[in-house]
This record gives sequence, C-alpha cells and structure tokens, in this order.
Amino acid sequence: MALSFRERGQGRGEPKIPTASMGDIAFLIIIFFMTTSIFSRDKGLKIVLPEKGEITKVDPKNVLNIGVNEAGQVLVGDNLQPVSIAEVGDMVSDLLDQNKDLALALRVNRRAPYQVMIEVFDQLKKAKAERISLVPVQEDAGQ
Amino acid sequence: MRHIAPKKQSAPEIPTASTADIAFLLIIFFMVSTHFRAEQGLKIALPAAEMTERIVKKRNVAAVWVDRTGRTTVNDNWVSTPTVTALMAERVVENPDLVVILQADREVKYGFITDILEALKDARAYKVTFATGYRTGGK
Repeated sequence: MALSFRERGQGRGEPKIPTASMGDIAFLIIIFFMTTSIFSRDKGLKIVLPEKGEITKVDPKNVLNIGVNEAGQVLVGDNLQPVSIAEVGDMVSDLLDQNKDLALALRVNRRAPYQVMIEVFDQLKKAKAERISLVPVQEDAGQ
Repeated sequence: MRHIAPKKQSAPEIPTASTADIAFLLIIFFMVSTHFRAEQGLKIALPAAEMTERIVKKRNVAAVWVDRTGRTTVNDNWVSTPTVTALMAERVVENPDLVVILQADREVKYGFITDILEALKDARAYKVTFATGYRTGGK
C-alpha cells in the first residue's frame, strides 16, 4: 500500500517556494521603470484651425485686428500706438464685454519672434476670447 | 536579585509577504503612466504662457519640432514644409482626432510657424497645440 503524501512527508516540513526575494525583484523592476520613464510634458495652448478655403463671413464691425510687427510691438485695432503685451488681455476683455460677437484676427509679421506671438495669444485666451484667427501672412505681403 | 528569564519567544519578524504585492502595484502604476518617448526631438526653449493646458490623450498626439533657425523635424527626420503636409495627412487619415503639437523654439521667426500652420491646414490637421511651458503669476 502506498503511503499517503502526508505520511511520507512527515518530518520534512511543508514544501515552500521562497518568496523572500520577490520584493527585491519587483523593486528592481520599479527602479527600471522610474529611471526610464519620462512623465510626458505635453502641454500648450490649443487652437482649432479653420478649414482651408472656408470663408466665414464676419461683419467687419465685429473684427478686431491685432497686429504684431517685426520688432515685436503689439498694435490693437486702429491704434497706431503700440501697447504692452500685458495690457492686451484687459483691452480685449473690455472690448469683448462691449461686443460679444467680436472676432479677433491676429496678424503677426513673419519676422516677429514666436515668443511674442505666444504671449499675445496667451493674453487673448486669458481674455476668454473664443473666436481667434491667425491670419496667414505671406512673404512680401507687407505688414 | 531576580533575573528576568528570557521568555521562550520566536524571533520577532516584520511580515514581508506583502512587499512584493506593494512593489508590483507600483510597477503597474509606472507601466500605465509611462509612455516611452518615441522621438528625440530638437533642443529648444519653449515659450511660456499662463493659459497652458495639458494634453491628456497621448495616443492622439503627433509632434512637429521647429528649432530656433526654423529647421523642422517630424519623427526625428529633417523635413520641409510640403513633407509636413504629407506626413500629417497620413496620420490624420489614420486618426481623425489627431492633435498636432507644435514644439517650436521661442526665438524662431513667426514666418516658419505660419508656414507650418498652413501646411497643417492642407493636411486637414486642424487641431493644433502650441507647446508652451507654464508661467505662474502675471508679468
């Protein structure tokens, strides 16, 4: 008669898989992931571009032109006096309060630095402007 | 004098059975939150903006890099503007919700940016994000 497992195994102790090092292995893998992972830093300012050839008719009265010239000076509307970037937000915000349908056309010189454009765009976003368009400027098209 | 007789006691132990579970939980967290950066990109200094938002969905993102001299890369290849259109048009067909993130140096001339925006319009990639860093407080 065959002995049962229990009887045979008496005195040997229960069989065990050693798990003491499991934690070490797992932490090793953690360290690998921690050192190789880069938390994604994808962040920025969103805009939805218009479709090409799509023309939205906007009453010229409801359009506010904002220009940035080569030197990075900002001109709002028909004023010829450049304003500081920090003021743009408040100005636009006031104008939006007066006219809810106001659309903003941001016209930036091709040689203007990108940082200025982003700062102005940031101000427009801060003013909660919804209708912002970036006017494409061709070379030799002047201002 | 009385000696305190050492009690018959098993050696004190810190239970370690669950450390592996904790560790694996952390691994899972890192695995889920990690995405291996697919491209090297260019060395650029991002412009800063206060209204910076995070892009949540990683899968829908394609990057276009522009360095300060206006050179452009996509997937670590130098490309010209028409190539940007071709590459992005392909990506948009695969994924209509594609968001193009424009990683441009703050000192680049705006002309390069407007050209790329036009190229993206041609590619029907209308959702664009200008990559920016956070800026806290007004200035």
